[in-house]
Amino acid sequence: MSEKTVDLQSFGGENNNTVIEFKDVSKTYQNGTHALNDVNITINKGEFVFVVGSSGAGKSTFMKLIMREEKANTGSITVNGFNLRKMKRKHIPMLRRTMGIVFQDFRLIPKMNVFDNVAFAMRVVGAPSRQIRREVPKALAAVGLGDKARSMPNELSGGEQQRVGLARALVNNPALIIADEPTGNVDPNMSYEIVSMLTAINKQGTTVLMVTHDHSLVRDFKHRVIMLDDGKIVADNLPGGDEE
Amino acid sequence: MKLSSLRYLTKEGFKNTWANRLMSVASIGVLVACMVAIGLAVLISENAKLALGNLEKQNVVMAYMKDYTWAFYSDKEDNEQAGNAENAEQTETGDDAEQPDENGIKSSDYVIHNEEEAKALCDKIAKLDNVESVEYISGEEGLEDIKKDFLKGQEEYFTFLDEKYGNPLSGAAKVTMKDMSLFSATLQKIEKIEGVDKIQSYGDLAEKISALKKGLGIAGFWIIAILMIISLVIVSNTIRITMYSRKLEISIMKAVGATDSFVRIPFIVEGILIGLISAIFSEGLLYFCYRVATETICATLGTNDIIKYSDLALNLFGLFVIIGVVAGVIGSITMIGKYLHKEGSEFAAI
Repeated sequence: MSEKTVDLQSFGGENNNTVIEFKDVSKTYQNGTHALNDVNITINKGEFVFVVGSSGAGKSTFMKLIMREEKANTGSITVNGFNLRKMKRKHIPMLRRTMGIVFQDFRLIPKMNVFDNVAFAMRVVGAPSRQIRREVPKALAAVGLGDKARSMPNELSGGEQQRVGLARALVNNPALIIADEPTGNVDPNMSYEIVSMLTAINKQGTTVLMVTHDHSLVRDFKHRVIMLDDGKIVADNLPGGDEE
Repeated sequence: MKLSSLRYLTKEGFKNTWANRLMSVASIGVLVACMVAIGLAVLISENAKLALGNLEKQNVVMAYMKDYTWAFYSDKEDNEQAGNAENAEQTETGDDAEQPDENGIKSSDYVIHNEEEAKALCDKIAKLDNVESVEYISGEEGLEDIKKDFLKGQEEYFTFLDEKYGNPLSGAAKVTMKDMSLFSATLQKIEKIEGVDKIQSYGDLAEKISALKKGLGIAGFWIIAILMIISLVIVSNTIRITMYSRKLEISIMKAVGATDSFVRIPFIVEGILIGLISAIFSEGLLYFCYRVATETICATLGTNDIIKYSDLALNLFGLFVIIGVVAGVIGSITMIGKYLHKEGSEFAAI
């Protein structure tokens, strides 16, 4: 099977409108910490979802389970058609190639310039050089950094660095973007700009899942909000204020 | 994996080696020391084997024959034993008793009567398993050899002895063995052949040489094995340090969907590169050290009986490359494997 044409059914996944589905999911770490308790949630294609909650509420575990960095103890998880419970370790890279990740701390490689940092995500998936040369400038232009391709990360502001991170997440055209507190290290104006960009990306059909502590962003951008507390979903507000 | 990816990853491996050049140089230094030590162990062992082999070749066995001279010099009882069967037969058939010659020796007193019988005996010995070659040395030739080898300047005295008492040496089979570790068993087989009297050998020496050669082989193996393990640990350590310095890159790689082999390849390239560079330096350094050492030894001992470096150069280089590459590949695969399975975190803060 080639790396590009993965048959999702072979991994036990379902190929429908659902992007993320948690059914009765619980996760307890080896030290006894109950991180998630009986979580049930469905996120559909094209949704923009904020995940909020205090420290220790289970947000990180929720994200780790989606990325299959951790495995649930009970219940089933489906992400982009992959059944994570049945999935073998060697297939995890295939899952990850269907998502783009934006980190709070940007995670740019300091010795690489902006172009190479974005191109890195394409090289990892084996994209040919010609495609890299074509797609990277497009991704940089989409985040407003078309003129910064040759700059080094330390020459950029925090907001610009996060936009490079966003371009890197976008460059492989993922079906899902996971943003882990992407506004945590940038000023309020830049925070709005980044969420605006994510909203624009979402409007083109990409599902976005964003963890945040910034209530003003949640209030101002009218998207679905999932609130976690003590490992449980305590609220799930659909856009427009309806609660599920 | 695509060719473009492989090219990119190989380039990354080269870049990493250069980026971590201080660590790479330190590893190369220690690896070179290990490889030179391995090379020296091989060279010393090979030279010792050569020297022992030469000694071994000189260690021939002389199987003396029961011929007329033997009958003349040995005790009467021995002669009777040799001729007992024949005498008994003659008595039974009632033939006339054989008349002894002027020295009182009858034809039935000894086994080997002429050169043909002596050569037939040599052929019998030659057919034994562990015998490499057999040469017939007549009593006269034996005496000439002794005069030539040991009695320089006193030949006249021995000519006198020879004339007065005759040649005291019996004919002998000069036997060379294939494997000196089977020395005793072969000796016993030769002794059992009819017509063989006594065997003159340096059995102890032969077995000691054989044991020494075996010991050298075992010691060489363990020295190489231990140094190889040290090499492996050194390369692994370098790779581990490089890996931790590239933790960020690895976490991004894994987050965007890199396979384990994609993460591994640059480290494997780095390991191989360190191994290869070390092999080249080791070969050069060992050549220089060996040349200086052999020139001094040859000048001091006045011998040229020593292995030339060029005879082993290719084998040693091959050995160094194998050590370097194996250490590089195994070291990097183990280290990165451990990291990817246990410590590599894609999402958690670094």
